[in-house]
Amino acid sequence: MVSTRDRVRAAASGPSAAPPRRRGLLRARRRAGLLMVAPAVLHALIWIGIPLVAAIVLSFTSYDVLTPPRFIGLENFRDLFSDSVFRRAVLNTSVYTFFTVPVAMGISLLIALMLNTQLAGRAIFRTAIFIPQVTATIAVALVWLWIYDPRSGLANAVLSFLGLDGPAWLSSTDWAMPAVIVVGIWQGIGLKMLIYLAALQSLPTELYEAASVDGASKFRQFFSLTLPLLRPATFFVFVTSVIGAFQSFDQVYILTDGGPANSTTMMTYEIYKSAFREFRMGYACAQSLVLFALLLFLTLLNRRITGGDRATR
Amino acid sequence: MPPVETSARFRTGRIVLYLTLTAISLVMIVPFVWMLLTSVKTPGDIAAVPPRLFPTEWAFGNYADALRAAPFATYARNSFVIAASHTVLNVLIASMAGYALARLRFRGSSLIFLAFVGALMIPTYTKILPEFLIVRFMPLFGGNDITGQGGTGWLDTWWALIIPGAVSPFSVFLFRQFYLDLPVELEEAARLDGLSELGIYARIMTPLVKPAFITVALLTFEGSWNNFLWPLLVTKSDSLRVIQVGLSVFRTENDTQWAFLMAGTTLATVPMVVLFLIGQRYFVQGFATAGIK
Repeated sequence: MVSTRDRVRAAASGPSAAPPRRRGLLRARRRAGLLMVAPAVLHALIWIGIPLVAAIVLSFTSYDVLTPPRFIGLENFRDLFSDSVFRRAVLNTSVYTFFTVPVAMGISLLIALMLNTQLAGRAIFRTAIFIPQVTATIAVALVWLWIYDPRSGLANAVLSFLGLDGPAWLSSTDWAMPAVIVVGIWQGIGLKMLIYLAALQSLPTELYEAASVDGASKFRQFFSLTLPLLRPATFFVFVTSVIGAFQSFDQVYILTDGGPANSTTMMTYEIYKSAFREFRMGYACAQSLVLFALLLFLTLLNRRITGGDRATR
Repeated sequence: MPPVETSARFRTGRIVLYLTLTAISLVMIVPFVWMLLTSVKTPGDIAAVPPRLFPTEWAFGNYADALRAAPFATYARNSFVIAASHTVLNVLIASMAGYALARLRFRGSSLIFLAFVGALMIPTYTKILPEFLIVRFMPLFGGNDITGQGGTGWLDTWWALIIPGAVSPFSVFLFRQFYLDLPVELEEAARLDGLSELGIYARIMTPLVKPAFITVALLTFEGSWNNFLWPLLVTKSDSLRVIQVGLSVFRTENDTQWAFLMAGTTLATVPMVVLFLIGQRYFVQGFATAGIK
């Protein structure tokens, strides 16, 4: 297709374009540029632009899909504040994020540091640690569901081997959330480790040589050189991880269905329930905008604090 | 090669390092091992308390039985068709857009780029409800009239599974980053030779960013294969079900037959693990490019 278009274009511009004239070239470039972004822009308009506007508009309506939306002003948002399950979901999402993101970041930085040494079999370790990341959350959550089985699951077998009595994990209001968090950490480590490892490998070695000459200990080098130099990577990992954690859905769907007693329901889960189990589209849109606003706020806040916007440029 | 250093302290450090890394790797791998072993256990072994790690009897027939209990092969084929379509479409459309935004600066191009970056910020869950409605009310499809009323639109069709995921802003973003690094001289030489802009993109610049194509292709395929919520929402019939949805439905409808479920789960995870093992370098490069630049 490309080659045909080339030929047509060559024929159309003909000999008059032979002496390359700046203005004509610029116009050709602009035309080509617009032509080439057009499909992607059109797609984004339909599947991102319109949905965003629609979500905002629908959040002011009561809408069950079958009958036309009815404008109800701010009622959805007022309802949100008195909705104790949604408040619980906001709390759960925050707890989940607060525990998975920093813990997984810490562990993955440690692993990256360990792997950033001259080590035989490094690729094998890296591969093993990354594999949970490329496998579907639905599939691995099913495996964890089986691991958490109180009677014949692996988790309690390991605990009883250590002489401990395991809980009923996913049907316990105390242990369901920690169980979901463990899966989140387990699956999230790979990607963070990889980004940290790539960042570590791009650090200038001269600085470390100079620091060694100056007698700085490894410990000192880590805190005074490595950590500050990793700031863009840390910013990137943090922002993407928070965005990811706030949108966790699949593992909850499989592991707990939000239960027991809403102890593991997340904002995404409430959006899904409002929209597709209760058919309250307007209300679900309002919930989704709260999620969006929270994410935006967290990203901007983090950018303020770390000043690390270089990473997302 | 390891530096020649033989002090006892160094050697102890090495041993600790290896032990720690081995332990971590094991923790990461154990669920998969458990999955594989469970998939070939007999019902008796599965119910055993305390659980046995290895089956007393290797029931390889579980796989054939699982395929009879649910059309996992059809589900896997559907997932493959969708993932492959998303990959081809993303690579084509996003590479053109990424190229134009990186190399053909035109009026409004930086604004368009900013819009794509902004689009990355919008959570899936904000877009997904209106996207569902767009699919549901797609005019002139599935019995809908021109205003989108009367039928079911794209619901339960390949359109719904393929079109909304045809381009992701992330692919556009990644391609732009890769095209940015190419030298201007190449482009200008080609222009002097009278090559059209599309020709420069297709014949001169694109062959130089092959790794970018492989990276975007692998990431797209993986994301599409692993996607769950969207196919769950827009499909109903068994013949259009993707593997992740098939697994979740099988679990709720069959009172959790673990051996079959783990066989299906193996089918859902192993292709991605293999793909990752083959294209590891490109996965790493993709994530690193997205993260560091």
